Amino acid sequence: MYDFTFHRPTTVRQAAGLLARNPEAKLLAGGHSLLPVMKQRLAQPSALIDLSLIDGLDTIEQKGRAVVIGAMARHADVAKSPVVIAAMPGLASVPGSVGDPQVRNRGTIGGSIANNDPNADYPAAVLGLGATIITNKRRIAADDFFQGMYTTALEDGEIIVKVSFPVAKKAAYEKFKHPASGFALVGVFVSKRGSDIRVAVTGAGSNGVFRVKSFEEALKKRFAAKSLEGMSIPATGMNADIHASAEYRAHLVGVLARRAVAKATA
Amino acid sequence: MAMTMTGEVMLSATRDVVWAKLNDAEVLKACIPGCEELNKNSDTEFQAVAVTKIGPVKARFKGKVQLTDLDPPNGYRISGEGDGGVAGFAKGGATVTLAEQEGGTLLTYNVEAQIGGKLAQLGQRLVNGAAKKIADEFFKNFAATMQPASA
Repeated sequence: MYDFTFHRPTTVRQAAGLLARNPEAKLLAGGHSLLPVMKQRLAQPSALIDLSLIDGLDTIEQKGRAVVIGAMARHADVAKSPVVIAAMPGLASVPGSVGDPQVRNRGTIGGSIANNDPNADYPAAVLGLGATIITNKRRIAADDFFQGMYTTALEDGEIIVKVSFPVAKKAAYEKFKHPASGFALVGVFVSKRGSDIRVAVTGAGSNGVFRVKSFEEALKKRFAAKSLEGMSIPATGMNADIHASAEYRAHLVGVLARRAVAKATA
Repeated sequence: MAMTMTGEVMLSATRDVVWAKLNDAEVLKACIPGCEELNKNSDTEFQAVAVTKIGPVKARFKGKVQLTDLDPPNGYRISGEGDGGVAGFAKGGATVTLAEQEGGTLLTYNVEAQIGGKLAQLGQRLVNGAAKKIADEFFKNFAATMQPASA
């Protein structure tokens, strides 16, 4: 490895201070996206700011009608959390489906969301439940947070502290998993909370996670898989690579949305 | 790894103005995402340094930007080739055509891009999205230069 400074702050305020003083620094959460890239020399930050010694960043709790998850909560911990499972098993299944055991035991919700990989699972749940991202500076609604692949509303020096998910009565996630990487070739999160119905898709769009308004409208009439019968989305704007064409991905969005609704209403 | 795409953007300026800007090194420098340097070797060849930042990846490319198939004021081909050191290489080009329309000029582009080396190995599933994002950003920046300076 090449030289870089390694900081281990114990408070968010210290971490923010370090970030402000080192514009080339990167925050280190689980490190499962950043470290492979550093090993390949595709990124050479001057400093890493490790968030793992900060107390209270990995809490998982129910607060009124919301499940609030700390930014440093690992995927495996969220997947197994009795609080999350009791409130919304559909949400717990999202980190449970991420990658492999190594990634699930190191990767964090804050890291996943801040990175906003177009194939990541968590962004679908955050957008699909209309969660609120709470940073050291402000609260950001999911609809404003994701701004295209690898781009978020986070400003320089801003650190995600927790994510607040409103508890939806019905919620489920279905993904078509890439067999090698575990990434979502396509993943669809659906939820129904009162009259608020959301369908969020990850993996499919070439510009990251997005909502499918036509599906949401159809589900407003009746929240059942049948309401989406025969529906699909246009292939324009879908990602295409050696694994799947844009048309195939568009087709999967319809299939997985029906499965997710069926699961949520089962 | 190769990819292609097309797009168009409506510009609120005459074709001659658009053409002039397409050949202006300062304008190109301001529009190429992450461009740190763009030095003229000749009227149609430039040396460039650009930083590409996509997610956790941050690579600095040094390379050449060339203008060929010049057909003023109808269009040209802009191509670039960059060496990102250990990161790999990236090259690509865009055929740009300009058509006069009511209220301005319609710019149509046909882009093709290729990456190799570690970038391709790691970024394979992202090439399409990344190239589109960079091209979109370039033409968005370019469209913005058509606005009056005060805007």
